[in-house]
Amino acid sequence: MHATADPRPAVQLEDLGYEVAGRVILSGLTLRSSARRIGVVGRNGSGKSTLARLLAGLLVPSRGTLRVEGIEVHADRKAALATVGILFQNPEHQIIFPRVQEEIAFGLRQQGRSKSEAAAEALRVLALFDKAGWKDAPIQSLSQGQKHLVCMMAVLAMRPRLLILDEPFAGLDIPTKMQLGRYLDRCATRLLHISHDPADLRGYDEVHWLDRGRLVASGAADLVLPRFTADMIRQGGLDDLSQLSD
Amino acid sequence: MISLSSPIRTRAHRWPAGAKLAALCLASTALFAVDALWFQLAALGLALALYALPGLVFLRSGLGALRIVLPFVGLVLVWHALSGSPAEGVFLALRMATAVALANLVTMTTSLEDLTDVLRALGRPLQRLGLPMHLLETAIPLVIRFTPVLIQKAGALVEAWRARSARRPGPQLVLPLALLALDDADHVAEALRARGGPL
Repeated sequence: MHATADPRPAVQLEDLGYEVAGRVILSGLTLRSSARRIGVVGRNGSGKSTLARLLAGLLVPSRGTLRVEGIEVHADRKAALATVGILFQNPEHQIIFPRVQEEIAFGLRQQGRSKSEAAAEALRVLALFDKAGWKDAPIQSLSQGQKHLVCMMAVLAMRPRLLILDEPFAGLDIPTKMQLGRYLDRCATRLLHISHDPADLRGYDEVHWLDRGRLVASGAADLVLPRFTADMIRQGGLDDLSQLSD
Repeated sequence: MISLSSPIRTRAHRWPAGAKLAALCLASTALFAVDALWFQLAALGLALALYALPGLVFLRSGLGALRIVLPFVGLVLVWHALSGSPAEGVFLALRMATAVALANLVTMTTSLEDLTDVLRALGRPLQRLGLPMHLLETAIPLVIRFTPVLIQKAGALVEAWRARSARRPGPQLVLPLALLALDDADHVAEALRARGGPL
């Protein structure tokens, strides 16, 4: 397909599989992509979040290989820190420090910058986002959308080459979504955006459809998303809620 | 509030945290070593004067933070009055109030970061012995960050209980709250790892 000629794609999965206690979460994923904006769409429980964690190097694949920019992210954590960043669904789960500047400086410190360098760089990032006034703001006083933005700034400060978004907009109102989307568009980083909502991925260069741990379709957003939406509406007419997993 | 340090900048904000802590150590030792009433009264007066120096707003928020010591002062006074040694009770109450007031003064004029730095410096010998001091450095901000979060979660559980029960929620909520906290801990561990943290 599109990226076959690329000798070293930005994102490369070869027969990737992941199991927990014998239960298959993902299997046989093969995907090569160097698109700037990559989308992954699928239902709840299709394995999207697991894929996000694998791509961030937080989980170790059960089989197959996974490389981001040529790096095995779960094995080489140091290189991974300079390569991938991940934004989780719930900022409450991501923010470690009580104040904005400390939160942004944390990742920079882990990348080996000195305390003063990290603090200065955090201020620079805040200024870049026009949020210099947020420096000392306590996290607890921020709105949900503002917390999302802090997470985004903290991850982008580390200058990853790939930013993984795991349903970052779930539960946000339309204006907040649009505003955060604008910040994402402005950053030049490659995006891999995971969502159950096709509206989030409209206009993406490439969309991969994940269903029950397998890739069922890949292609341009305007080809894959209408098929996905049609199938979701069809499944909405069924009653698979009744099924318990084993 | 998230941080106990005062937003009103005082001259003491710029003093090294280690020096302030050392002075606090000396002052507390002196409070318990000297047995003269005039000394105790003077020390309390001096502490209050220090509170008043940066201005009325600082004095008010400082004394507000000290309210927490009042029940203990009351308890000590009542106990000693009942056990027949009221003078001793007054001494102890004075010492306690002054010591807490001075300690709070250090808290109000020192950023958390500076305090953690002192801790790091003091912990260096322990680190050489193999104790993971860097974990402590991350643990302190984590506690401050997640205390309000946990309080919020507890509030949500109480709400969920009251939405479906006329009885008051009791210790039954302790276990679910603990499980929620453990779940949060997992998520934070993941977030730490995602950005190269010490876990």
